[in-house]
Amino acid sequence: MAASETWSLRPGQTLQHRQWDSEFVLYNDLSGDTHLLGDAAIVLLQALRTGPATRAALAAVLENEFEADAGDDKLDFAAEADSLLDHMKRLFLVDRSAC
Amino acid sequence: MKHLPILVRALRDPDQLVRYTPADWDLLLRQSAATNLTPTLLSLAEARGLLKRVPAAARAHFDWVRPLAARHRQAVRFEVACIQAALQPTGLPLLLLKGAAYAMADLDAGRGRLFGDIDLLVPKARLDDVESALMLAGWAGTHHDAYDQRYYRQWMHELPPMTHVRRGSSIDVHHALVPETAPVRPDPDSLRARARPIPGMPGLATLAPDDMVLHSAVHLFFDGEFDKGLRDLFDLHRLLGEFGAEPGFWDGLAMRARALELGRPLFYALRHVQRMFGTEVPPAVLAAVAPEGPTPALGWLMDWLFAHALLPLHPSCASAASASARFLLYVRGNWLRMPPLLLSRHLFHKAFLTPRAAA
Amino acid sequence: MLTVASLSRAELEARLAGPGLSVQTGPFVSRIHSPIERIAEGIATLYGDYPLRDFDGFADFHVHMRRSGGLRRWYRPQVSFDIDGLEPFEPLPQEHAFPMLEWALNWCISTRAHAYLMIHAAVVERDGVAAILPAPPGSGKSTLCAALVSRGWRLLSDELALIRPQDGLLVPVPRPISLKNRSIDVIRDFARDPVISRPVENTTKGTVAHVKAPGDSVARAHESARPAWIVFPKYEDGAVTSLEPIPRARAFFRVAENAFNYSPLGAVGFNTLADTIDRTVIYDFRYSVLEEAIAVFASLKPPAA
Repeated sequence: MAASETWSLRPGQTLQHRQWDSEFVLYNDLSGDTHLLGDAAIVLLQALRTGPATRAALAAVLENEFEADAGDDKLDFAAEADSLLDHMKRLFLVDRSAC
Repeated sequence: MKHLPILVRALRDPDQLVRYTPADWDLLLRQSAATNLTPTLLSLAEARGLLKRVPAAARAHFDWVRPLAARHRQAVRFEVACIQAALQPTGLPLLLLKGAAYAMADLDAGRGRLFGDIDLLVPKARLDDVESALMLAGWAGTHHDAYDQRYYRQWMHELPPMTHVRRGSSIDVHHALVPETAPVRPDPDSLRARARPIPGMPGLATLAPDDMVLHSAVHLFFDGEFDKGLRDLFDLHRLLGEFGAEPGFWDGLAMRARALELGRPLFYALRHVQRMFGTEVPPAVLAAVAPEGPTPALGWLMDWLFAHALLPLHPSCASAASASARFLLYVRGNWLRMPPLLLSRHLFHKAFLTPRAAA
Repeated sequence: MLTVASLSRAELEARLAGPGLSVQTGPFVSRIHSPIERIAEGIATLYGDYPLRDFDGFADFHVHMRRSGGLRRWYRPQVSFDIDGLEPFEPLPQEHAFPMLEWALNWCISTRAHAYLMIHAAVVERDGVAAILPAPPGSGKSTLCAALVSRGWRLLSDELALIRPQDGLLVPVPRPISLKNRSIDVIRDFARDPVISRPVENTTKGTVAHVKAPGDSVARAHESARPAWIVFPKYEDGAVTSLEPIPRARAFFRVAENAFNYSPLGAVGFNTLADTIDRTVIYDFRYSVLEEAIAVFASLKPPAA
């Protein structure tokens, strides 16, 4: 995947969700499913709410949000972002945009 | 038919609803629950701004079904999106039929209408590709009994229904409007060539309006399964109401019916939709289809059969007459679809040899 | 408003066998038709306090408990349930008619009343706030419910928590509480003079009986209640009484699993459940001694409003 590959929220997703501690439940407006998500997933979804973003930009969002928590561990934010996006694509939450 | 059931009267003329007593509402809602038409009644009442004048006890029943209609529409959109994604490798447009078409094209006929399966029309030559693509995406074939498989693949106009292994949703893949074994052959190529894209939904299409009406007519009057008869006839009423306003729709209808060898079903459709719902049909059109009608003797029998079979499936509308009418039409329906020799084997098989579903 | 008790036994039987007995339970009116003696007996014993409605007026459910069994009906009489011609279940031995009626009425509500988010749970209330007790069968929910109700809690329902999406309040459907096997004797001893129907043996759930809902609960069936606690009960022989908080996100899914119509309600279901989780304190509750359980419930504090 190219770093410039663009992702967006699937049209119709309003991201209705609730947070309790660091767990989130989210309603999927397209499939009607309800998901239990961690904070990283929600951070990405909320970033996409403002508009499409590239893979690189999304990895940066994660790094920005969680680097402090990572401490000494060097997390591969790009890989994390990829994995989350892939998972959320299968859930019909997000999709690759046509460029 | 002198005395129409209250459900039929309400569908014919929803403005009457404001005059109904609580006892009227009691009977009306029982009939609509039995025929799954409560969401339809709700959509008619809402469209006319009548809900405030419905007694609270009856309005509660509308509150019960309102979420179901919305959820159903959401589910249809999602299934169609999944099917589109699954069929993308085939390069075929997604041509929807019946309920799924009405819902996605936002037709009147789709408002408040709940249904179980999504129906598509594909070229016969591409059936294998389509089936494989769907299976790859998680839909599995059903009816694994060898007899049923043969029934569908050799004699019918559709694959055995496919069910999604995870979601449980169901698809019927058709390659024609009527079975191979039927005495008429509406040309599927012509139907696909005239398909209309759905505005705002790339890759999705429905049949042309006149073909949609003819499909609804042939499905109702040839298929023989009348438990959804009233609903399907009401579909026709709403389709004709909506398309009737389009210029040129009525002019070409009788001719198109003849071209597809569907003159007789159109005759029955127009006759019964008028009698049941008072649908407005131009006299010129009725005159044009009259020659397609049955002989007077047969006509009298068919009138009686259809009139009873199309009534709401509820004890208040039931009688020995309607039960036997339904059965006779079921037999006729199967006869129209399959030559008589094959028929008796099939009915027996269905009654005694197919494993019974768990209660 | 006339109640079922105002009818003589003969009148009751005549209505049941004829035009139907229309009775109001919470927001629902059920018109019940049955020539079966056990049905009349059960209704006479347990439904005296409920408002009687006109048999030719509006009813939400038209329930028939018929004698059936075809050729065998003389030596093996059966009962079948249909709602207006639709028969969703296999017939049962005729002795099971009254429990079947109760299960049938629950089925009617839980499969149709989608104006509410419906959870398979008992609901009891005191001082204006309610506890929802969701539980899969076998957890002792009904025994606990009957015990609490016998000690002053108001009964909203022993099977159906009905939450109104508009305001998050619980709507009562107070009906007889069903008990099984040992629980029947336990409650007979625990409560003061409970009215219990004739136990029916050999059902798929063992021996079944029903306890009459307190008159006060039936009289206040129009009073909704604010949910304050969700408690998942688990009876375990010899267990130490314990009350463990459950993290809310996990609780959300556990409650959804116990709901009849969470998915069909779509976003409304999601938001109604989420609001309810927000407003309540949620626990796993383990117990073996009823008196201790009653004490724990008495000590529950509602969350800050």
